[in-house]
Amino acid sequence: MAELERSDMQGIVMSGYGHLPCASYVLLSVADGARARGWLGRLTADITTAEVKQEGTSINIAFTVRGLARLDLHDGTLATFSRAFREGMATEHRSRILGDAEDNAPSNWDWGGTDANAPDILLMLFGCEEAALDELIGRLRAGFAEGGISELRALGAGRQSDSHEHFGFADGIGQPAIEGSPQAEKALPKNIIKPGEVLFSYQNDYGKPADGPLVAPALDPQNLLPDAPPIDDTQTASTTTTPIQRDLGRNGTYLVFRQLAQHVSKFWLFLDKATRRPDGQDDRAAAVRLASKFVGRWPNGAPLAKSPDTDDPALSNDDDFGYYERDPHGFKCPIGAHIRRSNPRDSLGPDPETALKSANRHRLLRRGRSYGHRLLDPRVDDGDPRGLHFICLNSDIERQFEFVQLTWINNPVFGGLNGEVDPLIGHLKKGDALVTVPADPLRTRVHDMQRFVTVRGGAYFFMPGIKALRYLANL
Amino acid sequence: MKHTVMTFITKVERVKELEAILEEIARAPEFPVNPHLPFDDLKRLHFASLVLHEDKSFGAYLIFENNFDGDLEDYLEDLHAQAAAGLHRIYSCCRDYPAASAADRAHMLGYLRRHVVRPNAYHVGNVGRSLERVRQEDALQDGLETFLDDVVEQGQASAPPSTIRQKIQGYVRGVPAFAWALRAEPRRTTAEWLVPYLKLGLAALVALFALPVLIPLLIIWLVVLRCKERRDSVQSTLGDQEHAAELVRREDHTRIVQNHMASFTDIKPGAFRRMTLRAVLWVINIIARAVFTKGKLSGIPSIHFAHWSMIDNGRRLLFVSNFDGSWENYLDDFIDKAAGGLTAIWSNTGGFPRTRWLIKEGARDGARFKAYARDSQTYTNVWYSAYPNLTVEAIDKNSSIREDLFTPLDDARTRFWLWRF
Repeated sequence: MAELERSDMQGIVMSGYGHLPCASYVLLSVADGARARGWLGRLTADITTAEVKQEGTSINIAFTVRGLARLDLHDGTLATFSRAFREGMATEHRSRILGDAEDNAPSNWDWGGTDANAPDILLMLFGCEEAALDELIGRLRAGFAEGGISELRALGAGRQSDSHEHFGFADGIGQPAIEGSPQAEKALPKNIIKPGEVLFSYQNDYGKPADGPLVAPALDPQNLLPDAPPIDDTQTASTTTTPIQRDLGRNGTYLVFRQLAQHVSKFWLFLDKATRRPDGQDDRAAAVRLASKFVGRWPNGAPLAKSPDTDDPALSNDDDFGYYERDPHGFKCPIGAHIRRSNPRDSLGPDPETALKSANRHRLLRRGRSYGHRLLDPRVDDGDPRGLHFICLNSDIERQFEFVQLTWINNPVFGGLNGEVDPLIGHLKKGDALVTVPADPLRTRVHDMQRFVTVRGGAYFFMPGIKALRYLANL
Repeated sequence: MKHTVMTFITKVERVKELEAILEEIARAPEFPVNPHLPFDDLKRLHFASLVLHEDKSFGAYLIFENNFDGDLEDYLEDLHAQAAAGLHRIYSCCRDYPAASAADRAHMLGYLRRHVVRPNAYHVGNVGRSLERVRQEDALQDGLETFLDDVVEQGQASAPPSTIRQKIQGYVRGVPAFAWALRAEPRRTTAEWLVPYLKLGLAALVALFALPVLIPLLIIWLVVLRCKERRDSVQSTLGDQEHAAELVRREDHTRIVQNHMASFTDIKPGAFRRMTLRAVLWVINIIARAVFTKGKLSGIPSIHFAHWSMIDNGRRLLFVSNFDGSWENYLDDFIDKAAGGLTAIWSNTGGFPRTRWLIKEGARDGARFKAYARDSQTYTNVWYSAYPNLTVEAIDKNSSIREDLFTPLDDARTRFWLWRF
């Protein structure tokens, strides 16, 4: 399956909807499965696909495992989803590897942390204007009651003034592009990933069809779903015992959602303190420099690995670099900087090619947006909530999203470091809250790091293709 | 300094009782302090594990894995001196255990000696470093890092590298606890690193002379192998997810720095696969002794101690590993850096992904290889690490800083040395 079946894909797989600056994420709970299936059937025709660009508004939809169960998806089918998805984000082991303890513990989340506040369905709504978005939300809300659905919470992302996140750094640079998509035509070769890294049933980076959910043939009497692809050309009746299954996953993906609150004034006041001159004066330029060391890019996006001393505007979207040749010791971009931890590129050995190939097994297609209005003076808190609705798409939650969190972001010994985590989103523990900033000849260590980001909610969702949506609606 | 890597493997008779004892050890609130095995008092022990594995056809085993400094006999003395009571309780649950009491030293040690299994192949990450040395170098490193924080705090980070280095040397000389660091010893003696190379060279030489005989044999072997590989059945599903879930619940407790895995696989029936696997492990072992002594096993930088042992008269393969980082990362490393070698080993066992020519494909089917690995993995009931916060790389870094602490360095190398901090 080489050709991308864009008419069967939800639009957000192929596009971040940059032309629709207003967004709202509506979390729903299913009260009545039969009525909810009817509602879903009516909604399916309005779901934005990856085939056409809709100018005014866009609608996409995804489901948690409980949501699928409440739509009465067969237990045998549910069992074919990956373990990570079925267990959900808020289990004891997941909390350990995602760093969701203390302030970040699921019991403290606004949503997704307990049975009572966990969503079944995620509606992602986008509009070119606030009015168009409001009108869309209003129209959909009118159908919830009849559809056996109740609204848990609407996470408005609002209109963001630019693509900077709230700490002030350009966001969304260095995305992978799906092979065969329009983005891939302009992308650097190292950023092109196999479709199966995001979409089920397409070839993944191992050259195998990405494993997605399957349906036993008997459970699809109307033939709504295509056949699942074989594992390899040797898979025949003589080598396997199970009949060819129906493909519920094709053109679908897993969507990871985490609401991350950002404590902007805390961040900048910490940096002021860490860079204060011996005479007690603040050194704003040094604070920005240290913040950039934490991030790995300057506020306007220039990567430190290429431009260690200035925020070079010519490099603001630059992603054409590795660390192996340019910065093996982290003198430019620290080993533990956020962008180096979340994508170590060619730096983790044993040779740059192998390292890059390994690192690319863990790419995430990010589709999140900031929420809340920009803090006017970043050093004076106004008490309003703000942060990032982190959303990413991947076909293997364990190998991609969770791997990045566990093996890179929260790994105290990442890249030869000892006892430190990602300075922005890592799970800090008292006693080893430090960040090493390498320098020639001698490194500096920033001590007493604080938590500048708190998890407010999260869940794992399955975002089906259009045929799979019809199957769900017709259960 | 050489390490010994081995297991005691016994058959278990009273499974429930043993399970309860192991649970008491593992769940002890102040672990590694526990009522039965005083791990911290075993001054040569790097890593140990106890695995109670119940098998449908082979019954219940206890695998007591030990990775320690020096020779087995010295370690056995240690074990008896420090842990006789606990071992007596544990092995009282096992078949044919003869000792009447914990004081019955001769019978207990005799029993242990009879059940020693030396691995067919093994790997050691930090070759030549004793437990004492690992701990000393780590304490030194902590001291140096804190000292350097002060140097930075006092605004002296931009001093000439040689000045900074002299300050460091002065600091180390001034701390009595670091007196050992002034007398550097090599990791291994000349004989310790030379002999493995000689063995490897000799093996290569013998193979070269035997080529006229070997080549026809190899061709026959390859033909038989390919026939078998085509007929082998493969697993099409992604394995037992509940089993995997149970394994995962026990992982990543040391803040992700280290993990343990133990796995049992059935070697495919027949002498052909048994001989092939024995030969593969023999070759890997002889190469590993000579070549993989710098911390990496075929490019994998994260293994402290790993063993492969063919047990039950060559019908089963036991693999145990003490590794750094997450399970996913470990398996990815295997796939990306050592797929050929590990396929050569495990494609001789049942359920492995479709393989060609012993080393091709196989583990490169990431999802099915991981499912196979999870399916064959068994619970590690008790796992002890003498230094749960140290990676192989960190131990090596600590050593490299200490070893060059007082050696004469020119200006350039002084800078490189400071970069290691």
